[in-house]
Amino acid sequence: MTRLRQLALNRDGFAFDPSTGTSFSLNPSGVAVLEGLMGDRSTEQIARDLRERYQVSLEEAVRDVADFVDSLRAHDLL
Amino acid sequence: MPAPLTVGVSGINAVDNPGPGVGVARSLREAEDLDLRIVGLAYDAMEPGIYMDWLLDRSFVVPYPSAGRDAYIERLRYIQSVAGLDFIIPTLDTEMPFYSRCQGELETLGMHCFVPTPEMYRLRGKDRLTEVAETIGIELPETEVVSSQEELVVAVEKVGLPVMIKGAFYQARRAHTTQEALQHCHRIVAEWGYPIIVQQVVSGDELNVVAVGDGVGGCLGRVAIRKMWITELGKMWTGVTIHNQAILRASDAFARAYRWRGPFELECIASAGRLYLVEINPRFPAWCYFATGVGLNLPARMITTALGGPLSAESDYPAGRLFIRYTYELVTRMEQFQRLVIRGETAEAQR
Repeated sequence: MTRLRQLALNRDGFAFDPSTGTSFSLNPSGVAVLEGLMGDRSTEQIARDLRERYQVSLEEAVRDVADFVDSLRAHDLL
Repeated sequence: MPAPLTVGVSGINAVDNPGPGVGVARSLREAEDLDLRIVGLAYDAMEPGIYMDWLLDRSFVVPYPSAGRDAYIERLRYIQSVAGLDFIIPTLDTEMPFYSRCQGELETLGMHCFVPTPEMYRLRGKDRLTEVAETIGIELPETEVVSSQEELVVAVEKVGLPVMIKGAFYQARRAHTTQEALQHCHRIVAEWGYPIIVQQVVSGDELNVVAVGDGVGGCLGRVAIRKMWITELGKMWTGVTIHNQAILRASDAFARAYRWRGPFELECIASAGRLYLVEINPRFPAWCYFATGVGLNLPARMITTALGGPLSAESDYPAGRLFIRYTYELVTRMEQFQRLVIRGETAEAQR
């Protein structure tokens, strides 16, 4: 199981990694992306969800999701 | 098992560099299945645990083990004669060689303890960590063991600055220059002698695990944590329980490989996906009540097992529980302090 799937995430945007004890705080769009990834949605699907929810362009949403995924990789969560 | 069972606990110096004794006593006090009296074994009348009468029934001053084996045993026998002493949980590094060596003799005197054998105890020497790390499947920061200043200079060059300069059993200092490394080496050698360990500095998350080995290859329970905040003395002030499989597997492997008997703590650093062994402590850590607080009362499980009692199979604990140490003040009368200074013992606490 990847560390991403083990994360405990609450609706307030607090995520806890039980294998390392590290915690993260996320904004609402970060929660939406993380929930999408933990629910096995593709980055394209997640970007489309963001576009609808936040009224941003698809390009901007795709870029934000990619940045977030890079950040997860930097934390060894992906 | 006599009822009540009288247990002696040392290390009740709950100060800024806290001994584990108060956490052990608090765990024992919460052990519903055990009928216990708890006696504090103190080295100084100012040790705060002495005055925590909700935890300890009575306390005695004992001589330092370095004062000699006979004087120490004589004092324990006196305590046994006036207060009963069925079981002893030593918690300080300086006591472990004595209890490790004299375990059998104490046993014949009716004082049980559950501590590692002398051979197990030697494994905690930092000059043995390479072998232990390899056996339990985790890494060790690059380490050189030296026995002279000339070797130290070569080792510092090989490992690369900054380095940790460590005594085989006690003291560790960081050095940023070769000159500083030599100074640290002088100080440590003057107190503890050679060998000196020169070790790579690894930065990362400090992960620790406390466990109790059953002496035949199993664990009576273990709890892993990450230190979230430490004091200037390096003591954990805030921590969180974790389910880190690498460190939990390492503690199981340690208990299995060495048939470890008694409590132990593995201190590790997690860095870039790797786990490094930094230190092995052959005793309960000062934060041992954390394990009790999340459902694994290791001191109680150890006593139960040592005396042949049944143990529940439950050994799980939740991840994400916080440990927060705090300071507290206690105001009390002078009588117990006076008795301890004059007679070397307190009166029985009134409950």
